[in-house]
This record gives sequence, C-alpha cells and structure tokens, in this order.
Amino acid sequence: MTADAGVVVIGWPQLVIAMLFMVFVGVLSIRLSLGLEKDLAIATARTYLQLLALGLVLRYVFDIDSPWLVVGLLLFMMAVAARIIVKRAPDAPRGLFTQSFLTMALTGFTVTFAVTGLIVQVEPWYRPQYVIPIAGMVLGNSMNGIAVALERIFADLDSRCDELLALVALGATPWEAAGPSVRSAIAAGMIPTINSMAAAGIVFIPGMMTGQVLAGVDPLAATGYQIVVMLMISAATAMGSVIAVLLAYRKRFSHDGVYLEKGRERAR
Amino acid sequence: MPVLLSARDVRYSTEGDHGRVVLLDGLDFDVARGEVVDVSGPSGAGKTTLLRALAQLLPDATGTLSLASETADSMTPQEWRSKVALLPQKAVMRPGTVRDNLLMPWAFKVRQGATAPTDEKLRAALDGVGLGEVVLDRDAARLSVGQAARVSLLRVVLTDPDILLLDEPDASLDEVSAEQVATIIREFADDGRGVVRVRHQRADSIASRRLRLSGAQLQEVDGR
Repeated sequence: MTADAGVVVIGWPQLVIAMLFMVFVGVLSIRLSLGLEKDLAIATARTYLQLLALGLVLRYVFDIDSPWLVVGLLLFMMAVAARIIVKRAPDAPRGLFTQSFLTMALTGFTVTFAVTGLIVQVEPWYRPQYVIPIAGMVLGNSMNGIAVALERIFADLDSRCDELLALVALGATPWEAAGPSVRSAIAAGMIPTINSMAAAGIVFIPGMMTGQVLAGVDPLAATGYQIVVMLMISAATAMGSVIAVLLAYRKRFSHDGVYLEKGRERAR
Repeated sequence: MPVLLSARDVRYSTEGDHGRVVLLDGLDFDVARGEVVDVSGPSGAGKTTLLRALAQLLPDATGTLSLASETADSMTPQEWRSKVALLPQKAVMRPGTVRDNLLMPWAFKVRQGATAPTDEKLRAALDGVGLGEVVLDRDAARLSVGQAARVSLLRVVLTDPDILLLDEPDASLDEVSAEQVATIIREFADDGRGVVRVRHQRADSIASRRLRLSGAQLQEVDGR
C-alpha cells in the first residue's frame, strides 16, 4: 500500500482496532436480546475476507492486464448477481437465473463500456483499474433495482389474480392485463436510485467520492467522477429493471395468455 | 334453433390432495341460439372449470370448441374470448369511475376500431339493472358488492359477445336486482345469442334447459 504525502494508510493495526465497532454492536445485540450476534460475527468475518480477497484479486488482475481476465471476472460478477436476484424472489417462475444473468450482462456491458469508452475514454478499452470498479457499481446497483422490481411484479400480479382473470376474459392480452403491475414494478426498481441522487451531496457524500477523497484525490476531481457514476447508476438501474420486468411478467401467463397463479405455475 | 356454441370431448384434470382428479371427462356440450342453459352441481364438481374451459381460459384443457361452425383454432384466444365471454363470479372493479370500468374493454386491441358506447347508452344500461341512481362519474371503489356485480355484468353484455358464460351472476343480489339481471340475460338470449349460467339458486323462469355436472359428466335435468 503506497500513498501520497498526507494520506494515512489503513494497515493491520487499524483494521484490528476497527473491529471494536463490531464488538460494540455485538454487546448491544446481547443486551437488547436482538439475537443478531451470530449474523454479526459471520457478516464481519465475510467483510474482512471478501474485501481482502477482492484487494488481492484486483492487484493480480491489474498486474496481468489481460482483456480475457477482465471479461471473465465481469461474467463471474454477473452470475453471482443473478443468483442473488433469484434468491430474493422466492415466488419467481423457473428460468429466472438465465433471464437475470442475460439482463445483468446486457446492462452491465452496455453501461460500463459506455462510461469507460465514451466518457472516460480509457486506453486500452479493458483497462482493469477503470473497468472493474465501474462495472462493480453498475452491477451492484442494477442488481438491487432488478431484485426490487421482480419482487414487486410477482407480488403485484398475484394480488391482482382475480382482476387479471376478468381482464383476460374480456379479451385483454397479457400486456394489456399486466400493464399497471409492470409500470409499478419498474418504478419501484428505480425509486431508490432517484432518491439517492436527490440526497447526494446534501445528506451524504457518496461512497465512491468518500473513497477518492480519503485516498488523497482533489475533491473537485472526485466530484466529476461521482456525477458520472450517479448518472451511470441510474441508467443501469432503469435499464436493468425494465428488461428484467418485461422478460419476467410474461412467464406468469400461459402461451394463450391466461394468468397462471403462483402455485399452478410452479407445479407445471 | 341452430347450434351456436359447440364443445366436443372436453377434458380436464388437475392435481388434487390425493392424486389426479378428473373434473371434465370428455364432455359434449351445445348451446343453441336463444338458449339460456343452467348448470348446477355439487361444490367442487367443476362448474367454474367448465365455464373457463369454454372461454379458453384453462390452458391444460383439451377438446374442440366452435362457434357458429367457426373453430376456436381459426382465431386468436383474445378474439375467441371477446365472442365467448366469461364473467367470473367475483366482480372486479379497476381503479377509476363507473364509466372507466364500463368502457375498459374498448381499450383492448381486440376491439380496435370498434365504437365504444356513448354515455347515453351506458346510462340506459345502468337504468335497466336498477342502477339508475348511480352516476357514471362515481368512483367504482364506492359501489356496493351487489352494484359492482351488476356493473361487471353490464360491462361484458355491452361488448356484445355471442355467448355469455356467467358464474353465479345473481349470488350477491337481492330478489329485485336478481329479477332485473334475469331480464337482461333473457333479452340477451332472445336476440339470437346464448347464455350458460352456473347457479346454485332455485330454478327461475328464464332457463331453457338445465344440466347437472357431477362425476365429471353432464346430465340433463328433467323439468324446470
């Protein structure tokens, strides 16, 4: 770990001291009988291990500097994100993993390379120092948006199943019947991002900018990156939510346009 | 009277608590022009299932359906459902006014180019089922259960289908409203169309024929 003059480097002693925060939270959990001690311990251990592993992997990937390695790593991140999405939507129809993976891939590659290629204009195109952190933010945020949107579309459709039957019986296509649910699900996926854009810089300093400022970058230079990142995140969330919901809603209808209730669909 | 709706060898089975249950076992079923056919039978016998099969709202059902010699395969499922219209038992109102709800079917592609009824026609229709006091601008969420049942019946009648499939259309109605609804149904059939009603109540005077669904088979019920 190297640093410019004036930047305090976090080393092992600091990491150990930081553990005291978790000791405090653990004591709180015990005294208030929150029952979270085990989860906290696991989460803390994961934070240390996963982030240290990430640091090592990134250093390795930066050293090797191969386009294949960068793309491979991105595909791995997309697959993990797709798995998390599926786990968060327990009532989801089959085939959601493939769909989510394709959605993540389309969103992730498009938005990441739009930023690195058109805005930051990195050379060569795969330069890992730029591509990987940006892809991480794109994927993480669109994953959250997609998970919220999918949870909403399935819950909303199921709550409207009597209405969907009546609409389809009147000659509505799946799109006409599901329309209101589709719109509200896409909006639900995008709202957290819009809210965080509105609060950025007033209520909180965004994470990426915090990191850059702590690492000694001039705040105004960090601002430029942060603005690009926020706009990119909202594009990624919008794109991910729209694609995911449009692919998903149709799976709850039969080929001849009849709404399949949750239980029936899973039994098929 | 010539046959309007014809169903041949309609079969449907589903997974029950104790294995596969056959609900419709090769049913043959005709509705002639001008007929009101009542279907009764024990709960769970598959009366609602039969209506859904006739409306092509049961993806796993098999059989041949035709309407005035046009087979169901010759049109899209949406076209079929706009001609053979099912009214589910539970009346559903979309957010919006009574007018919004009555005109909703004309927002669908299947009725593209068709003219939606005027306010005058809508008011006359409401009047016909004892809802003369309900204004078209009323929030549909504020209708009572019985009022919503009649509005949803009008919504489907106004689309002018060839066959109406009604799942207990008078279950939530008082005697006076039930009679008004029966009149509408009879007039609809007298116009050369057909009606199939699932009913639990005592026979009324408008049924042309009565059938009983039990043991996955349909039987004619003698007399009225």
